[in-house]
This record gives sequence, C-alpha cells and structure tokens, in this order.
Amino acid sequence: MLEIKNLKSRIGDTEILRGLSLQVNAGEVHAIMGPNGSGKSTLAQVIAGHTDYEVTDGSVTFKGNDLLELEPEERAREGIFLGFQYPVEIPGVNNAYLLKAALNAKRKHHGLGEIDAFEFLKMAREKMAGLGMDPKFLNRGVNEGFSGGEKKRNEILQMAMLEPDLAILDETDSGLDIDALKAVALGVNALRSPDRAIVLVTHYQRLLDYIEPDFVHVLSQGRIIKSGDKSLALELEERGYDWVREAANG
Amino acid sequence: MTRLPTDKLQAIVGRFPTTRDEDWKYTDLTRARDISKRWLDAGAAAPSPMFVDDIDRITGSIDATWFVIANGELQAVGDTPGVTVTKLDQAPNADSALAELNAALLIDGLGIRIDGELEKPIGLLVIDGADDTSVSQAYIQVEFAPHSSGDVIEYHVSYGAADQYANTVVAVDIGDNASAHHVRIQDRARNHVQTGRTTINMGRDARFAYAGFDLGGGLIRNDMIVNIANPGADVSFDGLYLATDGQHIDNHTRVDHRVGPATSRQEYRGILKGKCRCVWNGKAIVHEGADGTDADQANHNLLLSEKAEIDAKPELEIYTDDVKCSHGTTVGQLDEDSLFYLRTRGLDKQHATQVLTRAFAAGLVGRAPVDAAKETITALMEDRLATLIQSDEDFSL
Repeated sequence: MLEIKNLKSRIGDTEILRGLSLQVNAGEVHAIMGPNGSGKSTLAQVIAGHTDYEVTDGSVTFKGNDLLELEPEERAREGIFLGFQYPVEIPGVNNAYLLKAALNAKRKHHGLGEIDAFEFLKMAREKMAGLGMDPKFLNRGVNEGFSGGEKKRNEILQMAMLEPDLAILDETDSGLDIDALKAVALGVNALRSPDRAIVLVTHYQRLLDYIEPDFVHVLSQGRIIKSGDKSLALELEERGYDWVREAANG
Repeated sequence: MTRLPTDKLQAIVGRFPTTRDEDWKYTDLTRARDISKRWLDAGAAAPSPMFVDDIDRITGSIDATWFVIANGELQAVGDTPGVTVTKLDQAPNADSALAELNAALLIDGLGIRIDGELEKPIGLLVIDGADDTSVSQAYIQVEFAPHSSGDVIEYHVSYGAADQYANTVVAVDIGDNASAHHVRIQDRARNHVQTGRTTINMGRDARFAYAGFDLGGGLIRNDMIVNIANPGADVSFDGLYLATDGQHIDNHTRVDHRVGPATSRQEYRGILKGKCRCVWNGKAIVHEGADGTDADQANHNLLLSEKAEIDAKPELEIYTDDVKCSHGTTVGQLDEDSLFYLRTRGLDKQHATQVLTRAFAAGLVGRAPVDAAKETITALMEDRLATLIQSDEDFSL
C-alpha cells in the first residue's frame, strides 16, 4: 500500500530524513518509535504533504502511484489520514461542518453524491458514542477550547468518519489519560481490517498495550535502524534507545 | 430653529479636516466637502424620504422598538415602557467642524432615556437616499439611567445613485451600574459617504459591550470615543469591516482611562479585497492616577489581494504605573497551519481558504452582544462574503 524508498527530506537547511525506507502492506499495523528529534513527525508530515518539508531524494508510492506528486487534499481523498500530534483550533468552523465537508470532498472524488444530512448525523452520533464523545461537540468550533484528550478523540472521530485506507497517527497517545487512551485505541482497533493499514508514530510503548502492532521500527537520525515485532517495543521500554543506536553504529 | 446663512454653512464645510491633520492622515474628506458644497449651492433642501418599503422591511426584520430617522427627519418614534423620548433641538459639543455642521443643520435630534430593564432592543434606523445630491444629519443621545440595562441596535443604510453624505453623532451615557449592549450595522450604498462619531461616557461600575459591522459604504469614517471617568467600568468592543473595490473604511477609536480600576478591550477585524483601503487607529490613554487599568486592543486583517491597503496603528499612552496594557496587530493572510489541517481533511486550497475567511468574520458576529440582531448581521455578512471570497481571480492565498 505504502512504499517509501530512500526518502530524504529537509526543512530549511536542516536535513531530517536521511534515506528512510519502509514498506507498509494492507492489513498491517506498524509502530514507528524513536527518541525526540529522530524524524518521526517529519515522516508523518511528509506523507501528508506538508509544504514546509522539501523532499530532496527518494520516492513514496501509495497504492502504486507517486504520492509526492499529489496535493495534501488529493492524498486525503485517495485515502490517507494524518492524525495530528497538535491538532489546530479553528474557531468559527464547527466540527460538524468540517466532518461533512471532508466526507463530501472524498465522496465527490470517488464519483459519489453528497451525503444525506440525516445519514451524516446518524453516522456521526454513532461514532461519537463509540469514542465516548458528547454529541454537543459536533456544534463546537473545531478543537476550540478542547482539552488535550478531547482533541485527540476528535482526530480519531474524523478518522472513523473518513475510513481511510492508510491512517498515520502522530503521537496520538501523548498527553492522554488512561480513559482517553483506551477510547483512542478502541477507535483505531475498530478501523483495523485486511484492506487497511495503520502507522502509529509514538514515543512510548504504552499505546501498544492496547493496539497490537505487527511491526515495530526504530527511527534514529532520519533512518530506520532496527525493525522487529511487538517484542522490540517492550525491549525499548526496558532498555531505552541507546543500545539500538550503538548496535546500528557499531 | 433658524438655520445659519449659507455662507456660514459653507465656511464650516471649508473647515472640515484634511489629510494634513494627524487624525485624518489616511482619510480624505474631499468627497464629503464637495457633496456638501454642491448641496448647499443648490438650496440645501431636505429631500423627502424615499424607500418607504425598505423602512418597513428593515424594521420588520428585527424585533425591536424602532425609531426611524430618514434623511435627517424623525419619521417614527417607538413607544415602550421604561423609555422616555425627547426631541433635541441642538447637538451640544460642537467641538469640530463636523460636529458644528451636525449642530447647524440638525432637523430632529433624538433623545432616549432608558430606565429599568429593557425587554426589547431599541432600534435606531438611520436611512438616507434622495434623487439628487443630499446631505443629512443625525444626532442621537441615549441615556441609560443608573442600574438600567438594555440592548441598542443602530442600523445605518442608504440607497440611490445620487451622491449622499451622512454626518451622524451618537452620544451614549451609561449610568452607575448600568449595562448597555449595543450593535451598529452599517450597510450604506457603495457610493455614499458617512462620518460618524460615537461617544460613550461610563458611569461607576457601568458595563458597555459593543460591536460595529461595516458591511457597506463608499467612504466611511467612524470615530469611537470612550470616556472612563468613574471607577469599575467594563468596556468591550468589536468591529468588523469588509471592503472591496472602491471602498474606504476608517475606524478610529479612543479610550480615555481617567480613573481606575477599569477594563477596556477592543478587537477589530477586517477582510479586504480588490482596490480598497481600510484604516484602524486604536488609541488608549491611561491618564495619571488611573491605577488598576487593564486595556487591551487588537486589530487583525486579511488582505485577499495585492491592491488592498490597510493602515493599522495602535497607540498606547500610559501616564501611570499600575496598569496592564497590551496590543496586537496583524496584517496578512490566513493561518498556514489551519489551512494545511483542512487540506489534510480533503478540502482543496480554495475551499479551505473560503472556510477560514468566513470563520474569521463569523467569529465576531457570533459574539455580537445583541442576539436579536445576529440573524440580520449574519445574512448581510454572508452576502458580502460571497462576493468577497469568490469573485476575484486575484485569489492568491
């Protein structure tokens, strides 16, 4: 589904990704771990199409097509969803409007008509109930005055509504209490299917207690330096990152 | 009341401020002067009001106790418990050429006193329009008795292809512990001129919440002067201006903190597109001894094309120590992070831009202090925004 080869990317004069390769197939859940500044968030932003990051080398294909050629909105409509580490607050645009506009943009792209208003509300309420969100959040400004946990739940709500083929969740677990963490995990696990892939970018192993990954990768200095199964995450939790880096450098 | 001879009136017009005056640096009143001169030369007749249907339409659209000033003449006087109405012969404080002209040409001054808790808003419709060049004056004095509260809706509108210049003076006295909610809607014809001065006097522990919406007009100058001479005042005002080709909208505000403690905050937002110019000049003066003053002012502008021009100037003058003052001015484009966020949700760049531009304006409408006026303001704003964010190819954000 997603194939990244030798990806190099920089912001301004600072090179952040230095030859990163990764293959993600349908049905798989990948966890990308690594210390702060290793390039985890950059990878997520580059896949989503952030223009601040310049891709200087390598390739990214999504479902066989060159992803780097596409605008951020085209990537979204093709089925990529980025759950932000720091979701922005947008006062004056309500949640319901954004969810509907996002759904309709995707539907239009796939030759479908606009979603029926009744269907939309029914779907939104169901998904919100599943995430333990009060339906009144629908009429609030996007993330406006939301707590950290509410913002992350809201990201998961958007993901649940848009049903992406590839979901990249950037530090979705950071700053969450245990209830919010469970709700987020529930939302992610509900999305798991043989047709979809999920990439979890995370600093801590904690999230992986609730969402079991098929693969765990360690990112350091813009490269994946070690890959393994879920036991690698546990080992990282116990031993930290230094031993992996030393092994990779040695 | 006998009117001054024409040559005296012409002399007043000749003393109108020019761009050489610091306070009028960016706003050239030549058009107001020319219209006034031509109208005086032609006999200075008060035109009979046109657009009777529009009066009915507007007063029917907002549930309020309406007072109508049409081409300077008091046409309708509302009657409601707790409100005392007086006709005023003369506007006081003729301390500038504009105020002098207002006093000299005033037909009907309107005095409104509010006692107790008003149930329905007071609606003040200032409507102008004539077949020929015309000039009109309005003078409205609103007095909130101590401990009273109420909503006021000022609605300025004009029609017609002929040149029109309206010169309005509004004076609001808010008594001790009284609470006033006030909105001003300005939807004048795109070729008309208005100079408007609003002065607010705050009583002890008085509260004033205000929002002005400049959605129309050709050349518009608003002066908003707030005088805090009693402790405990709480002043909050917003302003929104939407401008396109040919429009010039100038908001000058001045808040005098003469005593403390008191709070004042203001936020003006503008969306400009095409060849137009807007001005925001926000002055806050914290006088000696006004300890415990908290003053905040902000002005944010979105320029949707290169031809649009904004002159934004915050001015803080502080003559005491125990104060908290802040100001912030931004001129620019939409927040890049918000734009990217919406695009990652599948909205294309143009759509995301429209959504964010609309939200920028809608935010101020949402918190307008008079609920009864919100529907009308929203409708006018959406109508204006539709042209503002869709019509120009120069749509380069």
